[in-house]
Amino acid sequence: MSATLLLLCELALFGACSNRIAKPVSETGGELRQVTDEAGGTVTVPAKIERFISLAPNLTEIAYAVGAGDRLVGDTTYCDYPEEAKKVQKVGDTLQPSIEKILALRPQLVLISTASQLEAFTKQLNEHNIAVYVTDPHDLEGVFRSISNLGKLLNQQEQSDQLVSSLRARAAAAEGAVSNSNPVRVFYQLSEEPLYTAGRDSFVTDLIRRAGGISVTKDVPGAWPRYSEEAAVVARPYAVILPTGGSMGEANSAAARGLRRSPAVLNGRVYKINGDFLSRPGPRSVNGLEELARALYPEAFKK
Amino acid sequence: MTSTRSLSEPGRGKVGPRVTLRKTLTACGLLFVVLLAAVLLMSLLGSEHLPARASMCALFSFGNASCGLTAEQSAILLEIRFPRILLAAAVGASLAAAGASYQALLRNPLAEPYLLGISNGAAVGTMIALVFFGAQEWSRPLMAFAGALLATFVVYRLAQGRAGATPERLILAGVIVTTFLSSAIVFVTTLMDATRIRSFTFWLLGDLSGTTTSLLVIALVVAVVGTLVLTANARSLNLLMLGERDAFDLGVEVSRVRLIVFLAASLLVGSSVASGGSVGYVGLVVPHLVRLSLGSDNRITIPAAALSGALFVVVADTIARTVIAPRELPVGAITALIGAPLFIYLLKRG
Repeated sequence: MSATLLLLCELALFGACSNRIAKPVSETGGELRQVTDEAGGTVTVPAKIERFISLAPNLTEIAYAVGAGDRLVGDTTYCDYPEEAKKVQKVGDTLQPSIEKILALRPQLVLISTASQLEAFTKQLNEHNIAVYVTDPHDLEGVFRSISNLGKLLNQQEQSDQLVSSLRARAAAAEGAVSNSNPVRVFYQLSEEPLYTAGRDSFVTDLIRRAGGISVTKDVPGAWPRYSEEAAVVARPYAVILPTGGSMGEANSAAARGLRRSPAVLNGRVYKINGDFLSRPGPRSVNGLEELARALYPEAFKK
Repeated sequence: MTSTRSLSEPGRGKVGPRVTLRKTLTACGLLFVVLLAAVLLMSLLGSEHLPARASMCALFSFGNASCGLTAEQSAILLEIRFPRILLAAAVGASLAAAGASYQALLRNPLAEPYLLGISNGAAVGTMIALVFFGAQEWSRPLMAFAGALLATFVVYRLAQGRAGATPERLILAGVIVTTFLSSAIVFVTTLMDATRIRSFTFWLLGDLSGTTTSLLVIALVVAVVGTLVLTANARSLNLLMLGERDAFDLGVEVSRVRLIVFLAASLLVGSSVASGGSVGYVGLVVPHLVRLSLGSDNRITIPAAALSGALFVVVADTIARTVIAPRELPVGAITALIGAPLFIYLLKRG
């Protein structure tokens, strides 16, 4: 209630609610620049972005990691990391953000990730003259590219360069530690019932490869395909990865029925890894890579 | 049994010659053999190839002999594929038998669990059971039954106008209840976290994977018992098709029969939705085809619809399992893809 009142006061003071709440980018004054986003769209944004909204938890994490969190004026209910992100105005969840709330926050830019299946929303925002930047990473290199791109976009290039080089160093260290091993056959169980996994277009497939494993579902079309239980039996993985915990809570904490006879389950090689590391292509993807490598090759990390 | 015109109304099928027990047994026996053959044949199809002869041997020995199958192959056949086919049969039989009885009782060729909102009622019940008593599996069919029964009751009440229930009124009531319950489903899913939404959206479209032994046993027992109860009331349903007043004059205890049919049909819909989600069009298309070929006498329509419904869903689910393997489609998408055009064709033709 008080938040609504505050907002109303603010709008009245600045006279923004006279005709349209959100000013189109072209009317905000100041220098403009054109950039191409990762989905190939042309985006026109002010030279300096003062107010932006993130519609995906991974983009919120990137924004904070490159030091632009103080200009984040809206995010989603899924955005729970870092801690400050929880206090930002919520515009809904990733699947159903409120367009009214977005307009009311007068952003100069809205960030969208294909990882959260929000491309359709882009058009709607464009109709309201709001600039939308889409990120579309399919592997760890793509995640680094997203971080660099957002760093440039948000005028934080120095910080994003530093971040990317430190992330690259950590990734290289993890990959180096496991590089001499024979690839372990890995099944990535996104959800137990019904069975979902990571397919060809998922960055997780790349993370598994870098961690010295080979995803048994790496050639299945799509990013997160619904997978046949029968095929899971035949896949015969030697390790099963369960993304769970974090914002996922207790969900997905047991291997699916089709995997119960797999060498992975018989040998106790079922690993729970924080789902947020593996479902959000952002800075913490490298944490995911490190944990994957540690799970697949515990001996390589013994000192 | 004399007024052939009213009898033919649901489905507008022809009323065949006098239905005898012998004719019923022959038709159902034949359908049963076809169903059995389909179940065995479909056990050989799946995302993974299994050797035919060894698979048959393993099935006929009830898994006691390996018959040369590897441990993995026999796990696929006996723990995943065959139970799923049995569930498909139970779900198909339940929905088709329930559809045939609703059509007779409500004297409406369009009465179908899915179109009347009864499947949605069962779905809401199942979701409530999952949210509040997730650990107790048996609570799902029970709550689904309660939801189906409640939806049936509401639709039936809404359909009663001053001039009695007209077919149009019934369908309108069904549409209202369906849309209302759909919003209830959307509301409940919105309250859930993203991980569970994914599994629900698949289940809502009809998904036969991942059933448990206890749910499968419940579905099979309910399918058989429910169909038998409805068949036992088929003679009364035949008379009810003449109109409730005429049926009453002919000695049918109308309210008692109505209650039994509602209970049995809701139980059938509830148990199938609880384990397989909302598989659409089975209760509509299958009874129609059965009436077209075997006539409208419920003593033969109901058991024959159950067997044909089982056959239909077993085949549809095999398509869902195999067509984009190793990925999967929801079986409800397949039954709708086959059922909707087929139904339009039947409408045009009739």
